[in-house]
Amino acid sequence: MSWAILQPLALTLLFTFVLGRIFAVDMADYAPYVFSGIIVWEFIVSSANIGCHALLMADGYIKQCTHPLAIYSLRIVCVALINLLLAFAGFLVWVIIVKPENIGWTWLSLLFSFPIIILVVWPLAILTSFIGTRFRDFSQLIVIGMQAVWYVSPVFFQADMFRKAKIEFLVDYNPVYHLLNLIRMPTLHGQFPDLINIIFAVGTAGILWLLASLLIAKQERQMIFYL
Amino acid sequence: MVISFFIDCKTRTSNDFLFVRINVSNFIELENVNLYYSCLVYREMSIKSYVCKLMGLKPRPKTEDVHALKNVSLSIRPGDRVGLIGHNGAGKSTLLKTIASLYPITSGTVSVQGEVRALFELSLGFELEATGRENILYRGLLLGKSPKEMKTLQDEIVAFADLHEFIDYPIKTYSAGMMVRLAFAISTAVKGEILLLDEVIGAGDDNFMAKAKKRIHQLIDEAKIMVLTSHDLSAIRNLCNRAVVLNHGEIIFDGGVEEAIKVYKIEGDKQ
Repeated sequence: MSWAILQPLALTLLFTFVLGRIFAVDMADYAPYVFSGIIVWEFIVSSANIGCHALLMADGYIKQCTHPLAIYSLRIVCVALINLLLAFAGFLVWVIIVKPENIGWTWLSLLFSFPIIILVVWPLAILTSFIGTRFRDFSQLIVIGMQAVWYVSPVFFQADMFRKAKIEFLVDYNPVYHLLNLIRMPTLHGQFPDLINIIFAVGTAGILWLLASLLIAKQERQMIFYL
Repeated sequence: MVISFFIDCKTRTSNDFLFVRINVSNFIELENVNLYYSCLVYREMSIKSYVCKLMGLKPRPKTEDVHALKNVSLSIRPGDRVGLIGHNGAGKSTLLKTIASLYPITSGTVSVQGEVRALFELSLGFELEATGRENILYRGLLLGKSPKEMKTLQDEIVAFADLHEFIDYPIKTYSAGMMVRLAFAISTAVKGEILLLDEVIGAGDDNFMAKAKKRIHQLIDEAKIMVLTSHDLSAIRNLCNRAVVLNHGEIIFDGGVEEAIKVYKIEGDKQ
């Protein structure tokens, strides 16, 4: 349990120490920023990566029962979610101590932030589970792909750094940025998330669900042959 | 509780649906069922080989989809205890899994009315890190039971599986025989209306087998329909009142047990 907090915390300290110096930013602000990014990103990436094996790990169930295959992806997402919530509890304590002025009604928006993030990540895990079962080397590919996304997303880089470097499209059109903002705006700035954040997050969820439903409709019954 | 499910490819009409709802007795009805195993399964299992294929590199010998069930029509009514016999690869297990609606059929209709209890590979679906007791609960949930119902069945399952204190050990420490015993005990403790058994009669040591056979007899008495596959012809004689002989995915005989065994033996001599 403590690893859910310690692991991202160690990474945060590392990033803050190195990048905070390189970019000469205020450590007290930057550290919780990095931490919030890492824990949410970890939720997304572990759901997608481990999701590749969701059906393969559940072959014993799939060969006996006719349950919807999406539940096996949900199982992976739930495990990652527990880690996220534990780490998030630690994050909240941190924010309450260092930024008590941010506490307010805006925190209620977190009640919507988490469901939206889950609704983005679940279909993502469904997609990777189906593709990962059909193509066994997809899991290697998705690890590389997710790593690429992580470098071009404001997970540990600040959004302003992207804007200063004139690559703001990597932020503005990046669903990861908007998803992270759902958590960061209330906790780090004491503000409600912007409308554009919500539109992007819900839109991403919609597109992913559309793709996942198409794949389920076309391939769900065939999956047993690939196990 | 009666679960009815309906799988079809093409020919479902609203009338069929109505028929299923009104008719409360259990049945299994297969009409002109064809099932192909996709040959993709043993080719292009990786993106790498898929891309190679698209680019025309590495030409491979052509493989065709396996026609696993050919135009199978079968009607099973309450009271039928059907034995499926045939040589390896004849399509026995495939047919059983089609009845359980696990496999997507290519054409035809499958309709099944009644709560299906399937005993396929027994050790499937265990969580190795969890204890025996936890696995009893998990498998029960998988079979659609509530945690409360499983609690009432638990003691009986533990006693039948003869696991004693090992029930609180993780499954990964179990021997193969212990796992089979536990799986069998759980799956047979939860009653169903249609019982599908795939070669499970041959598992476990002699001591357990005697117990298991008794239990299966009892289950068969309670279940309204049973379909089993076995190479053990004496088991088919003992347990079934009807037998179906499969050969290369086709039903070549459907009728009395003794005649079926004769047909099966003649078929075996030919090969």
